[in-house]
Amino acid sequence: MSHNEQHKEILLELRNVTKHFPGITACDAISLEIEQGEIYAILGENGAGKSTLASMIFGLYQPDEGQIFMRGKKVHIDSPNKAVALDIGMVHQHFKLISNYTVAQNIILGDEPKKRALGVFPYVDIKSAEDRIEQLSKDYGLEVDPRATISKIGVSTQQRVEILKMLYRDAELLIFDEPTAMLTPQEIESLLTVIDNLRSQGKTVIFITHKLDEVMQVCDRCAILAGGKLVDVSHIKDTSPAKMAAKMVGRDIEFSAKRPSKQIEETVLSVQNLRVEDSTGFPRVDDVSFEVRAGEIFAVAGVSGSGQVELADTIAGLVRPKRGKVMLKEQDLAKLNVRKHTESGIAYIPEDRQSVGLILDFALDQNLALRSYYQTPYCKTSLLNQKAFSDHADKLIADFDIRCARGAKTPVRGMSGGNQQKAIVGREIEQDADLLIFVQPTRGLDIGAIMSIRKRILDERDKGKAILLISLELDEVMDLADTIGVMYAGKMLEVAPATDLSMTKVGEYMMGVTAND
Amino acid sequence: MNFAAINYSAIIVDGLSFALPLLIIAIGGIYSERSGIVNLALEGLLGFGAFTGALFVASTVSLFAVTSDVPMYLSFVLAALGGAIFAMLHAALCIKFMANQVISGVVINILSVALTGFLTSTINANIFGQASERFMLQTSPRWDIPYLMEIPILGAAFTRVYPFIFIILIVAAFAWYLLYKTRFGLHVRAAGDNPQALDAAGINVARVRFTAVAISGALAGIGGMSFAYSISTNFSPAIYMGFGFLAIAALIFGNWRIVPTFAACLIFGLTRSAAFQLLPVFDAGAAVIDLAMTAPFVVTLLLLAIFGKKNKMPRALGEIYDKSKR
Repeated sequence: MSHNEQHKEILLELRNVTKHFPGITACDAISLEIEQGEIYAILGENGAGKSTLASMIFGLYQPDEGQIFMRGKKVHIDSPNKAVALDIGMVHQHFKLISNYTVAQNIILGDEPKKRALGVFPYVDIKSAEDRIEQLSKDYGLEVDPRATISKIGVSTQQRVEILKMLYRDAELLIFDEPTAMLTPQEIESLLTVIDNLRSQGKTVIFITHKLDEVMQVCDRCAILAGGKLVDVSHIKDTSPAKMAAKMVGRDIEFSAKRPSKQIEETVLSVQNLRVEDSTGFPRVDDVSFEVRAGEIFAVAGVSGSGQVELADTIAGLVRPKRGKVMLKEQDLAKLNVRKHTESGIAYIPEDRQSVGLILDFALDQNLALRSYYQTPYCKTSLLNQKAFSDHADKLIADFDIRCARGAKTPVRGMSGGNQQKAIVGREIEQDADLLIFVQPTRGLDIGAIMSIRKRILDERDKGKAILLISLELDEVMDLADTIGVMYAGKMLEVAPATDLSMTKVGEYMMGVTAND
Repeated sequence: MNFAAINYSAIIVDGLSFALPLLIIAIGGIYSERSGIVNLALEGLLGFGAFTGALFVASTVSLFAVTSDVPMYLSFVLAALGGAIFAMLHAALCIKFMANQVISGVVINILSVALTGFLTSTINANIFGQASERFMLQTSPRWDIPYLMEIPILGAAFTRVYPFIFIILIVAAFAWYLLYKTRFGLHVRAAGDNPQALDAAGINVARVRFTAVAISGALAGIGGMSFAYSISTNFSPAIYMGFGFLAIAALIFGNWRIVPTFAACLIFGLTRSAAFQLLPVFDAGAAVIDLAMTAPFVVTLLLLAIFGKKNKMPRALGEIYDKSKR
């Protein structure tokens, strides 16, 4: 990536910006200068204050202290409308789109071009909007069809719509809040290209993330936040991932957790000729067979949508197979319901922690007992024992370092993603099941939480559990697996010991390249 | 059975006279629900609108010539106004005070029946000096449309037509244009799908929803006034016959879209008039009339049971929008 050495105009300046929330200082006297035309990363763990900072720039919060200057002029950004008027745009982590509207309707919402029919009746001139959007999408390499309906397009296209929304309003400063959290590796690549494009067209970008490799790849400068304080600002070319990571978490980080398996023993899970179809009869899992043994981490690699999630759901009992067998030790699981699956010894950490793994509006102690609430000590003669719930929660909170504001009674919705995931992992590990299934266990988490969860996975393996790990992150697969299976288009293309496979080789299988090609 | 005795043109005329008021009420419901506010209050709104219009006619009738149609036309304006004002109660409860929208709707219905009944009797006794539970209206004129009425069979649709049919057609066409072609309409439909997104686009969600609910009341009021003229030529609490709920069924069956809802209303209207016209043919007794009047409701049940699964209600329908929540 190119760097422009000469000093440019300062577009945005923050001076001693401070924001307090009850009991916490989210941003503590932060001062930054962002130059016209650069990609400026704001890096930090979850809870470091990145999003709060961005929200203040976009007018969602007002700073308690400090000033904001835009193009050298002091500004008071008291609403998103004001931010937009100052040519600031933001792509939120959760998209704000109308599902049954077209791409064009979403982009113009709130700023609709108007024409008059017969000189009297005003109407929204969708045609000219569509033309302008087509032009913008060509100029910036953001491929979208302005006439497509939002609910029928994928996440990455929806994100392009959000970017076009900003460009349509002539934003000069574009804020991306964790833009890659929802994307697959390929989609991340193309997003980074788009962001690079924006810079070549003279736009300024604030890129909020906790992923170091993305920062290394496109950004010019990087500010690191930790605990609400600005720790460091450096030019990317003068720093390294290890240095940044150390500053981010305040200590040195070991990037690899790798520990070889001590002892691989008898087969725990055996999947034979499994076929799973979707509602249209299309095979999502096609004739898949493999075994997972005690003391082994079997990692399934593959690009998103290759059938891994359906495979895991089927083993956990959420989905019924069309054909084939799932054997846990000597027991055939095919005919059992989900509770019987659990009771027969399967722990499951699902991909979507918020909708499948937790009940967000329930308290932490109830969520931690979701697998066992109907058994003693939680439930005696159909009455729930509240004390048993909170005692159990207190124990898991301590054992798994779950950070929660109000202890066992914290509503899970208010907890950070990392702590939500720790709660699920804690609950599932506690069942002492023979087989643990982890689907995307570290998705969207910061480095600290990722390391802690990977360590847990290895600990369980060392205790002699069988682990089925499904991950889209190739690093994670390479780092943890004893045995790797690569899925492509519903088929298990290759199963081999991790020591026999290089990262490149696994990458090739993920793209459907087989030895014969 | 004597099929020759069936009055086909009456089926069409009466069917339209019922279907169009139902349509305008249902469009009212569409406005409210597309903006995200459940509106079970249509029944109460149509009644309150009709009450306002009829009160206007009753109190100003002496100012106009006996043959004048002006009070009738003005009564529709007043009915719309009355419906809109009463609807603001629903809007305030649901939007400002964040009450449960279903409960608010039910309360508005009960309140409307009691309030209009009480006010009608009281006003009659104390102001007009006569004990009565109703406001009398003049008989609405009915028009024959030249040339069009001579078309075979379909010409019946243009024979002895109530003037309100045209009022409704004009208002409905405007309502369609407003909802689908203008900025305001775009905002209404956005508010019912993802209010957060609308808010992020810099639009005041509460204001959009408030306006939509007020429009809902105005349209329901026009529908109620039409029923007052076509069914009874007076206003009395007898106007609360469940047509507001039938309108809700029509808009659900029409998938919260105006044109399909029009089709649903036509089906209901024609079913009802056909049931009436067919009774004599089958020599059915008076006792069966009550049963026959349930025909549109039975059809509703059947259609909803058959097509219900395909329905896509507005995504944020019934969701209380609280800006401060994330």
